[in-house]
Amino acid sequence: MTVAEAPPKEKTDFVRLFLTQRIPLLAVLIVLVVVTFFINDAGGYLTAPYDFDYMSASLINAVPLAMLGLAEMLVILSGRGGIDLSVGAIVSLAGMVFGFAYGMWGWPLWLAIIATAAFGALCGAVNGFLVSYIGFPALIATLATFYAFKSLAIVINNQQPISTEPIQQLFSLSKSVEIPIIGQYIPDIPLGIFTFLLPTVVAVWLLMARTAYGRRLYAIGTNDVAARWSGLPVRDTRFKAYVYAGLISGLVAVVTVAQFASARPDAGVSGNGMALPAITIAVLGGVAITGGIGRVAGVVLATLLIVWLNAGILLAFVGNEGSQYQLLALGAVLVFAALLNGLTNRKYGGAQ
Amino acid sequence: MTQEKVQPRLRLTAVSKRFGAVRAIQHADLTVQAGQVHALVGENGAGKSTMIKIVAGAETADTGEIEWAGEKVRIGSTTDAIALGIATVYQEPQLFPELTVAENIFLGKELKKQGRVDWAGQNTKVVELLALLGLPARYATATVGDLSIAEQQQVSIAKALSGDAKVLILDEPSAILTDAEIETLFGVVRRLTASGVSVIYISHRLDELFRIADEVTVMRDGRTIGTYPIGDLSVRQIAHLMVGEELSDTRPQREVPQGPPVLELIDLSRTNKFKNVNVQVKKGEIVALYGLVGSGVSEIAACCYGIERATGGTLKIGGEPASPKNPEEAKRKGIALLPANRKVEGMFGFQSIAFNISAGHLTLLSKLGVFVDRAREKALALDMIKRLSVRTPHERQPISAMSGGNAQKVVLARQLVERPKVLILAEPTQGVDVGAKEEIHRLITELAEEGTAVLVVTSDLPEALRIADRIQVVRGGTTTVEFGPDAKQVDLLAAAAGGSE
Amino acid sequence: MTTVAEPKAPRTSKIKNLPSPITGQELVLVGVIVILWAALAVSTPAFLTAGSIQPLLVATAPIALVGVGMTIVIITGGIDVSVGGAIMVCSVITAKTLVGSGVNLGVAVLISIIAGAVLGLVNGVLIAYGRVHAIIITFGTANLFMFLGLRIFGSGTVNGIPGTLGFFGRGPDGRTLGVPHAFLATVLITAAAWWYLRHTAGGRHFFAIGGDAQAARLAGVRVQRRVLLAYVITGVLVGLASCFVIAQGTSTLDQSVGSGKELAVIAAVVIGGTSIMGGRGSVLGTMLGALLVQTVSSGVTQLGWRSQLSDLFVGIFIIVAVGADLLRARARRNR
Repeated sequence: MTVAEAPPKEKTDFVRLFLTQRIPLLAVLIVLVVVTFFINDAGGYLTAPYDFDYMSASLINAVPLAMLGLAEMLVILSGRGGIDLSVGAIVSLAGMVFGFAYGMWGWPLWLAIIATAAFGALCGAVNGFLVSYIGFPALIATLATFYAFKSLAIVINNQQPISTEPIQQLFSLSKSVEIPIIGQYIPDIPLGIFTFLLPTVVAVWLLMARTAYGRRLYAIGTNDVAARWSGLPVRDTRFKAYVYAGLISGLVAVVTVAQFASARPDAGVSGNGMALPAITIAVLGGVAITGGIGRVAGVVLATLLIVWLNAGILLAFVGNEGSQYQLLALGAVLVFAALLNGLTNRKYGGAQ
Repeated sequence: MTQEKVQPRLRLTAVSKRFGAVRAIQHADLTVQAGQVHALVGENGAGKSTMIKIVAGAETADTGEIEWAGEKVRIGSTTDAIALGIATVYQEPQLFPELTVAENIFLGKELKKQGRVDWAGQNTKVVELLALLGLPARYATATVGDLSIAEQQQVSIAKALSGDAKVLILDEPSAILTDAEIETLFGVVRRLTASGVSVIYISHRLDELFRIADEVTVMRDGRTIGTYPIGDLSVRQIAHLMVGEELSDTRPQREVPQGPPVLELIDLSRTNKFKNVNVQVKKGEIVALYGLVGSGVSEIAACCYGIERATGGTLKIGGEPASPKNPEEAKRKGIALLPANRKVEGMFGFQSIAFNISAGHLTLLSKLGVFVDRAREKALALDMIKRLSVRTPHERQPISAMSGGNAQKVVLARQLVERPKVLILAEPTQGVDVGAKEEIHRLITELAEEGTAVLVVTSDLPEALRIADRIQVVRGGTTTVEFGPDAKQVDLLAAAAGGSE
Repeated sequence: MTTVAEPKAPRTSKIKNLPSPITGQELVLVGVIVILWAALAVSTPAFLTAGSIQPLLVATAPIALVGVGMTIVIITGGIDVSVGGAIMVCSVITAKTLVGSGVNLGVAVLISIIAGAVLGLVNGVLIAYGRVHAIIITFGTANLFMFLGLRIFGSGTVNGIPGTLGFFGRGPDGRTLGVPHAFLATVLITAAAWWYLRHTAGGRHFFAIGGDAQAARLAGVRVQRRVLLAYVITGVLVGLASCFVIAQGTSTLDQSVGSGKELAVIAAVVIGGTSIMGGRGSVLGTMLGALLVQTVSSGVTQLGWRSQLSDLFVGIFIIVAVGADLLRARARRNR
């Protein structure tokens, strides 16, 4: 203990690098997935061509997934068992709010979007208040609000979706567009990528990597006792993580309404719901469930991996078999990522 | 007095133990007689805890012999120790709060009757055990989480004795107890020795040894200085044996500028923790608060920094009353604090040096109050690394990969960024190697030279003497006597440990 | 000579061997359920009739039964969010077997239980020996189980399920002296689990693991085996509960079976006073929690309100139940 510990070995250890650096691992996996499907495509094993156009079109699925993955990243990062099971229910409820505002009350689009995002933030504030100020375990608080928001979303308009004229026309938002100047050389890209996903990714990246708030969030997630002794506003910081997660969920609500051309009361909770895949994406992207570790790039790459894997699976199987194998892929990848995280924690003291 | 009449129950001869390059103990001897309370005393780092770990089987000795009732034995593991009849009660009770006392005592070795736990049988045994300790039988079925800390400690003792212990090690049992609770503890210890159990009693409070111990072994610098019947010694004599020969202090006297106090505690109190604490620290002055574990010193520091709230008295900064409600407010008022428990309260483990330094000063380091100015952050980190001679390849090194001394310098650097008016240092060199300790001490002096009012809260006696201009002794939750820098260690120790006259 | 100066001489004959078996949370739940039943009885006269109470008890059974296993899992400090998927796998296997080979009741139940045990074993091995956070692993296996279930389904539904499991159903075959068998079985299993958790060394070890797994290991508790067992027990109960689920339905089983059940079960456990942090919990509380949730759901329907409104109440109950617990814990700490 009195001897200074030896500096970490400078020897480049590829296994170590591969296991501890999530981003190169994900990049390699993405290449592997894409190449696999290209080969299958060339061999004629797929029901439709798996090419850049198809990959680009499938990115529309990345929009809600990556955004909610980032929302989960924020709350999981905040530590103390942070998690948000309610994001899907917020998407449903905020989607209905958007449906009312834009589809029925005739608010201008920009105002309706802002109102929806603000409403999502309000829902997140309920979670944040319960978790950060009252001291509820996040799992419990967000389980309760999951039920509450889900119920309200269904009851608020008598179980009826809102798909009035203005809402239906929003479908154009999820169309693919040609990018100016270079657009003719590359495939068309879904509009939602530019209008929602990229701004969110950039904003969250700025927030986490560049702002003082991001630093505080990493600090409380790493060690909230030390954060308190450093004079950081621990509660306020954790509270805001849930608010931001709610805000992002509100934006996803707009995306989802546009995608379905309808504000559906069960949009975020039907079937498997949206929370589970979002948590999966976050964990796969290298966010440590114990808090303090996680990067935007990891979450984005994890989304691309899952989206392109799912897109390929859809072509590799006939009918709804494809969607079934997507579950297999998601589950297997998550278990693999979790075991990998466990292994790297034991062997190398954590992934980065 | 009654030597060689019977074999001693436990005898350690010429035991040595190294940790890497450090000699934790060398050629230590310990002889414990049946039915006696044997006190083990020594300053922090004198080797007491290594000694008891060897007895308890948590560490194995490198050399030396252990005899049990005259027979040579080997204690290779805690299981070996328990099998012999050696039980240990550590400071922190290791109990399951949701289970009952009886369950805690029998966990993993439940009595069974037809497949189910024999509650009646267990309870009978537990009640017997509790009776032996003079504790009420109702404890047996109480849930541990419902008991007070003192009661939990008594349960720990009962648990330790449940394996038919012949030697019971109590590691600073009184540190967390009130006077009344200590009296109960002594009652328990007396009953045990009356029934033939030997007790190895580790304590910093020297005065209480005279009420409970039969013999005392003094350790210093990893060696056992000697074993004495308690009646042959006084508090002062024990203190003297603990600190050894006074080294002539070569520290040059500092000129402390005269002026009004920057930090002033007037009759500061917190219920059940400390009361009527009076301290003044002037600009450029280094004052040490010296007290044993449990004396209330650490709580005083926490109060000054707003981690805990005082319940009485006043705290003044620059003459203005200021009772910080939280660390943020304390920082705004110009108070910085280096926490005592580096790993838990100080370090952001897997984050970089730069992150650890800037963590408390993000507003200061940001552009437009929002974005972190990373160039300034890096410059600040590099500046601090240089100023505090932190040994590291670069500022992106995770703090968890650094040695104790270097990590401590980084945590200290965080406190220096905004040039605090008042700097409180809690155990600034705990778990830090000698070289880094020197450097940290030099740095503290420099800070004072530059005009910071420094309050060092420490249980490290030589440290207090080495750096402080004045030393306030805290005992029993209150400030008692004040010493100058030319005080003798033995006087300070005697004042803190009881029986100063 | 050690007994001379006993400070407070106890009357040993009066000592109870264990703390009270009923906790405050359970009493409160009983109180809330009684008030709700009374209120419902007043507002809708049809509520307190066999025709209304019997389906309520039948519907409570699968949630309460899986809740027993979930309670044990949560007591050890874990969680299992894969039970919904597991219910799907067990029920589709059992339904297909019933359709295909017409096995009898006992065999059908056995098949379902074995299927559940295998799924529980998968979770248990990954969690106990892979040493990964239970919530992550079971999120993963939830997807895997759903995949498995859907593959076995093949087409959209399983049709023409014979009434073999009617013994656990809503019909007259499913009752003895007016008590539904599914509920009776659940009560008996809950009672057995309660006894096991309270009176055996193995049962107590679950609590010790949840309190402090490391300390439990040092005390000689076989932590990994115990944790594994907790998930296997959950799997077995999922197997039996799946039979109840099939029995409650029509002769057709569709792919939505089991969907969302994991959250319903966790809600019942949490409302029942089991701490999500581990170390504390009660299967009786879980039973009452499940009954409360079902009462609300049934009451909302009978009052003519929108049925989805019951989820709002479930959310509120969770907040109130856990919030009260937090306040109690805070009061205890400040004492």
